[in-house]
Amino acid sequence: MVSQAPHCDQEQLQRLLDGQLAPTVESDVTCHIETCDACRSALEFLAADEQWWQGTRDNLSCHDVLDGLGPLLSRDGPLDRATSVPLNFLQPSDNPAMLGRLGEFEIIELIGSGGMGIVLKGYDQELNRYVAVKVLHPHCATSAAARRRFVREAQAAAAIVHAHVVAIHAVDPNHHPPYLVMSYIPGESLQQRLNNLGPFDVVDVLRIGQQVAEGLAAAHAQGLVHRDIKPGNILLERNVERVLLTDFGLARAADDASLTQSGVIAGTPQFMSPEQTRGDLVDFRTDLFSLGTVLYTLLAGHSPFRAETAMGVLRRVCDDTPRPLREANPNVPVWLEAFINKLQSKQPDQRPESAESVADLLKQCLAHLQQPTRVPLPPQIAAPTSPGPTGAWGRTPFVARMVVTILALALALLCGLGVWWMQLPRDHLTTVVIPRSNTQISDSSSSFDTNWNDTYRRDATELERTIKQLETESTDDF
Amino acid sequence: MMSAEETRASLLLRLRDSQDQLAWSTFLQIYQPLILRLTCRSGIQEADAREVTQDVLLAVAKSISRWETDPQRGSFRGWLAKTTRNLVVNFLVRQTRHPRGSGDSDVNRWLQQQVDPHSSESTAFRQEEERQIFQWAAEQIRDEFHPSTWQAFWRTAVEGDEVAEVANELGVNAGAIYVSRSRVMKRLREKIQSMEF
Repeated sequence: MVSQAPHCDQEQLQRLLDGQLAPTVESDVTCHIETCDACRSALEFLAADEQWWQGTRDNLSCHDVLDGLGPLLSRDGPLDRATSVPLNFLQPSDNPAMLGRLGEFEIIELIGSGGMGIVLKGYDQELNRYVAVKVLHPHCATSAAARRRFVREAQAAAAIVHAHVVAIHAVDPNHHPPYLVMSYIPGESLQQRLNNLGPFDVVDVLRIGQQVAEGLAAAHAQGLVHRDIKPGNILLERNVERVLLTDFGLARAADDASLTQSGVIAGTPQFMSPEQTRGDLVDFRTDLFSLGTVLYTLLAGHSPFRAETAMGVLRRVCDDTPRPLREANPNVPVWLEAFINKLQSKQPDQRPESAESVADLLKQCLAHLQQPTRVPLPPQIAAPTSPGPTGAWGRTPFVARMVVTILALALALLCGLGVWWMQLPRDHLTTVVIPRSNTQISDSSSSFDTNWNDTYRRDATELERTIKQLETESTDDF
Repeated sequence: MMSAEETRASLLLRLRDSQDQLAWSTFLQIYQPLILRLTCRSGIQEADAREVTQDVLLAVAKSISRWETDPQRGSFRGWLAKTTRNLVVNFLVRQTRHPRGSGDSDVNRWLQQQVDPHSSESTAFRQEEERQIFQWAAEQIRDEFHPSTWQAFWRTAVEGDEVAEVANELGVNAGAIYVSRSRVMKRLREKIQSMEF
């Protein structure tokens, strides 16, 4: 018996760890390790010391894969991720072709998995139809709060009955882990379509936008915010020009279920898209912002805050506005770009007032595109209330244009000052941000910066006054 | 827990090269959620927290080229924690002047809590950083392993399931579980230590 063998030497263990032993030797040593505590400990110590093992437990437990709840039809994850999901909660099935049974459903296959749950394709014998079964990940289901949240959100979402929302048929709150049953939609997500075929036509985007907005309006009418509108959560039904929204409210349930909610951000290469960050203090207008991002993404082929380099991304964030859509896709009409900008306003109250109004406007825009001579653009779109960066410029009165020009010049001057300031040699890098003097935290080396700030503030105040003056004059003129 | 300072130094050096996009994207993957979480913890609204996070990242972008790994100056992450805190304070002060919902008393309370720079806040930063790095590294290396190897590691080393039970489920002997999880552990450690992408 190998277990009687003398202890392994360090080198042998190292080679075992590195997978360099011949298969027969490896199997012998492995058997030995099974029974020999000393060698096992030595092996594990070679891999990493106890602090690492402890750190691994502390930092990784309760957080499975980091990419949030996967899209319903996602198959894009690596295969092992899908196959490594433990399906031991399934009951055995009489049909050997099936993976197993869950409640009254025969489970055919695993069609997706994410940080919070897995999606199974099931068959409902009674109603003779396929269903998608979303199961809260067993890892996440250990917390009673997470289970309750999942069930509550699913029940709320089940109340939405709409042509553009994936219907939820059932929720089983008593099963462990809990699951929900919804319509199985053959087709692909907008994200998958985007990956395969590139940007969408303007007409398609208007149609999709209208349908998504209608679905959102139905949800908002029930007081339900989606919170995670993204191309991966919008399904395109095969052979039909219809899109369906899925995963209502589950983003919030995911917050609860896994503390690593922000891991969603970590897993996304793009920087600063609104879907990546989710908090508690949002209302329906967050969905409108995200809808704007989706429309932008569908037209441009990439999300708005993307740039060629990471530095570019940061600069984009600095500018605080996405790269103009028409730069990425010149086919986009000026008015559509302006409308998407409005959806993506940083201030929620600058966005359109409701999903319903968005659906309505997009519908009229679609009609206009299809029959430009017979249907005019809706007035809100044709003449936006706040002039956009392009298009509306020519209609702006002269004085107003002058004000803006002066403002821009002043801003450029200030930026120049800023750059100069940034390039000054510093004693401490800790002064990038200077707390105001009335805070209790101050920095010893901040006197220069405080002076600068004062000058800056004086300049800004003066500038503001001048602009005010000009504005008053201009309104008097017109 | 580990010699984090040294391991991060190489990433810092690479960040100074603005052409090194991979270094930047790694930095963002790890530190952006980290800063956001810390900022959110101060109780400001999510949208504002996002803004402050952007400011912090910009501060990094602007000053990283002049960053020297000088022990006198303190660690980079110390600086990052401080910058984050300063920007949150800045934001709160700005908000006090133009209140947007959060009352004065909240701001004051928060400022009171932040007087000590060595308070729980820097501990929190470390903890969050460590968690973020572990998760990032785990995600990076996961595909290098056979699913059952990964399961052996995940179930026993992370979730604390019994080795015998997992061995039984995976249909291997317990020795194989020990070997598998040690291999993953070694790789995880190397990944984190080298921050090599």
